[in-house]
Amino acid sequence: MSFLSRLAVKSSGFSCIRRMSVYPQHYAEPVVQKNKQIEQKSELAKLHHVPIKAAVNKASDTVFHDDTKEKMVNYITKKGNSALARSLLSKTMELIKRTQTEHMNLAKGDDKDKINTNAETLLKQAVENCRPLLQVTAIKRGGVNYQVPVPITTKRSYFLAMKWLLEAAREKERKVSLPEKLAWEILDAAHGQGRVVKRKDDLHRQCESNRAYAHYRWS
Amino acid sequence: MSTGLTRVWERLPLKKQAAQSGIRVFSQQQPEIEDEEEFRVLNLRTVKQQFQRRREVRRDPVTPPRTNRMAVDQDWTAAWPAPRSFHPASVPLPLRQGFTERGAAAPSKFANAELMKIPNFLHLTPPAIRQQCEAIKKFCSPWPKGLETEAKWQRHFPVEVITTDYLQSLPTIRNLEARRVTISLKLSDLKFDAHARDKFLRLVGDRYNKDTDTVTFVTDRCPLRKQNYDYAMYLLTACYHESFVTEPWEASKSEADMEVYLFERNQSKIAAEGILNWSAKEGDNKISPPPAYAQCVEQLINEGENEYNLAKYKEEVKKMLNV
Amino acid sequence: MKMIRNRFGNLSRVSVQLQRHVQQMATSAAVAPAEGATINEFRTAVANPGEHSALQLAKFYTIPAEQKKQIFTGGGLPKQYELQIKTFTEACLMVRNPALELLEYIKGADLTKPVVRYVLYGENGTGKTLTMAHVLHYGALNDFLLVHVPWAPNWMKRPKEASNAAGQEGMIDLPFDAAAWLVHFKNQNGKLLQRLQLKTGKEYVWSKRESTPAGSPLLELVEHGIARIKYASETTAALISELKQLSTAGQCKVMVAIDGFNAFFHPITRIFSDNKQRVTPDRITLTQPFLDITNYDWTNGVCILSVDKIAMTEGYMDSYMPRYLLGQAGFEHLDPFVPVHVDNYTDKEFHSYINYYLDRHWINKTPQGFEEQLKFMSNKNPYSLMQLVRAL
Repeated sequence: MSFLSRLAVKSSGFSCIRRMSVYPQHYAEPVVQKNKQIEQKSELAKLHHVPIKAAVNKASDTVFHDDTKEKMVNYITKKGNSALARSLLSKTMELIKRTQTEHMNLAKGDDKDKINTNAETLLKQAVENCRPLLQVTAIKRGGVNYQVPVPITTKRSYFLAMKWLLEAAREKERKVSLPEKLAWEILDAAHGQGRVVKRKDDLHRQCESNRAYAHYRWS
Repeated sequence: MSTGLTRVWERLPLKKQAAQSGIRVFSQQQPEIEDEEEFRVLNLRTVKQQFQRRREVRRDPVTPPRTNRMAVDQDWTAAWPAPRSFHPASVPLPLRQGFTERGAAAPSKFANAELMKIPNFLHLTPPAIRQQCEAIKKFCSPWPKGLETEAKWQRHFPVEVITTDYLQSLPTIRNLEARRVTISLKLSDLKFDAHARDKFLRLVGDRYNKDTDTVTFVTDRCPLRKQNYDYAMYLLTACYHESFVTEPWEASKSEADMEVYLFERNQSKIAAEGILNWSAKEGDNKISPPPAYAQCVEQLINEGENEYNLAKYKEEVKKMLNV
Repeated sequence: MKMIRNRFGNLSRVSVQLQRHVQQMATSAAVAPAEGATINEFRTAVANPGEHSALQLAKFYTIPAEQKKQIFTGGGLPKQYELQIKTFTEACLMVRNPALELLEYIKGADLTKPVVRYVLYGENGTGKTLTMAHVLHYGALNDFLLVHVPWAPNWMKRPKEASNAAGQEGMIDLPFDAAAWLVHFKNQNGKLLQRLQLKTGKEYVWSKRESTPAGSPLLELVEHGIARIKYASETTAALISELKQLSTAGQCKVMVAIDGFNAFFHPITRIFSDNKQRVTPDRITLTQPFLDITNYDWTNGVCILSVDKIAMTEGYMDSYMPRYLLGQAGFEHLDPFVPVHVDNYTDKEFHSYINYYLDRHWINKTPQGFEEQLKFMSNKNPYSLMQLVRAL
């Protein structure tokens, strides 16, 4: 979908688009992580004579860096206080790891290897499990608003998944801290359970039942 | 209307012709006028026709510089006896001074403001100084024996007295600053015991410079230099003798008033002795803490803590306590 | 600093909630190296600190659960470390140089001489408390009566309750803290006290009706303090003076361990007196006995004290050196003492710790060079390392 839409934009002509980026369109995205550079060696070789955008401030090639985590930090941030957001997420990760590690150390035999203690993969798993495929949008036809199922881009599906996770985590009592609740939600979602996965399923079900209105999207 | 026009036309027969033929007529007519009379110039004021020639200023021919006539072995002190700003014709030196573009030679000494701006010492050449010294020698007494080196004269005259004389072009020859007397001496030249030294330093206050070990008194409160000098010497003497006086209340000097930490005066010594003489009975000889330990405690506190001092302290404590 | 060591309360709720997932978890994560043998190159089977030597340097030994419960129930391990112990389901301590040095001193000490005071000092988070814990474990196993204050500044900074002392004019009592300390003392030494059958040397009169007669067991004294919280402070003072006399008489050995000892010499506390002025530490009744027992005038014991920057308050935290932290009075009180420097990890210790974390599945990301990155970021400081690997 996103590919098609981009094609459409391109064919309609460059002059009408107002791009906000400081970089001209032919600038390539930088690849900061070393292992990715090695992976994409042949593709990067083509970029020898192509200007490349400067790397963003927070991009790094350390153990602590992870793209999903960075995105999550951005979504948690309120009023630009990303330092707080970062510490909240790292606490969340710690809590996830603590519960998992404790279970692993208490488990015996084969169960031991089945428990995943890697908080990052758990987070990724949770986000994957929460990603919706479709979305409904209100379209007015004959004075009636119809909830019409529409496909969404990959990027938006990731955004929705993380947003839902956060919304679920923020819906809590005052006494409970955000990291605690977020850890809870992430662990739930990683195992395909919990409120966020249910919310996704509900949305899918609604899309399925409203499938008859699908043609309103183009007619 | 049309009859009017024709009349005008008839009056100017010549012009009519010309317009018709398209040929200018002025050129034919003008020479005739010139021939008749010369062009007269309107002369409003009577102007003298011939210019008065400017009077030439008679200058003496430039004399060649004096240096040309100077003998090679002349007496320079006679040529340049006193301080004076630079004069190119008097100085037989090929001097050059001043900024030029790259590669060009600097301007020569003639008409060179740069050379005149800077002070010169042409009157203070070594022969000139020698000559003047010779001249005033008859007023001097011989250098005292036994003060040949600096070390010697500093030993015999430890106090340095500094005064300043002023020459000025005021109606008065007095200068207020001339009464000021500064005396200074090394503290090591005075003989003290520990108490007196401490007290002297307290009395002197910031007049003592720790880095150079000098005490400096500056007196200017009396109107005459002599009085100020006497006062400074009095201050020095009084402080010195006062520092040897022990007042009864000085016994109450507490630890907080001490400038340095002394092991002997402190709790540390009592504690160390208590530990070392733990199982000793009454009447036994008391073991006193080793001096190395005392020294490193003093060092730890006086010099301040650092890893080195603390490690040394640890070593000494371990040695003393046998751990 | 203390406030930065924030804790995660209520973790148990999360874990309870998740209990049900544990069984059905399928993981796709990289599995850390399989741990078949319990003894790896970074572990040692020698669990008795008395037998530790340079051979066991930078290796982990495990404190048995019941001993840990006996010694550290009332405190003595940092909060974060307790959490780590709970997560890893084992109480492991690394054998490090300062602890070995202390153990060597203690083993070779002549107990007939007056007590030697050892002062642990070092930067924040280098492991002073854990060094002390290691030595305490040794003391508990070797029949030392432990006089252990887990964190002295707690009394000056956040006491449970402060009231005017009954007997002494202008003094402040901390009855609940004193009682808590007595409970801690009883936990640590209950069995040993029963075995040694120590008796009080004189009669203590608490009030008209209550008194502890001379010759009654020490345990009774402790229990009285716990039961009658009003007299807990006085009981503590009595108990400590009794312990001093008993150990000087040779009936028992005493190990004094006070963490954050410099708090006793801090210029002020956070306790207010009746006229709304801050009280100095020497006007708290609990201070006196502990200063008394760190004096050199008794035998048959050892004193392990730690001085800590975070025991002080803002404005007094410029240096971690003992003379600065103790101040004039503190230094004179302790001099001559043996300073023991607790430093950051050595390369070997650092590597060993990383291995331990890997073994416990605490570090899950192992890209190339991650160890160097952690070493660089943490400056080999134990606490910083702990903080850095939290989210890995």
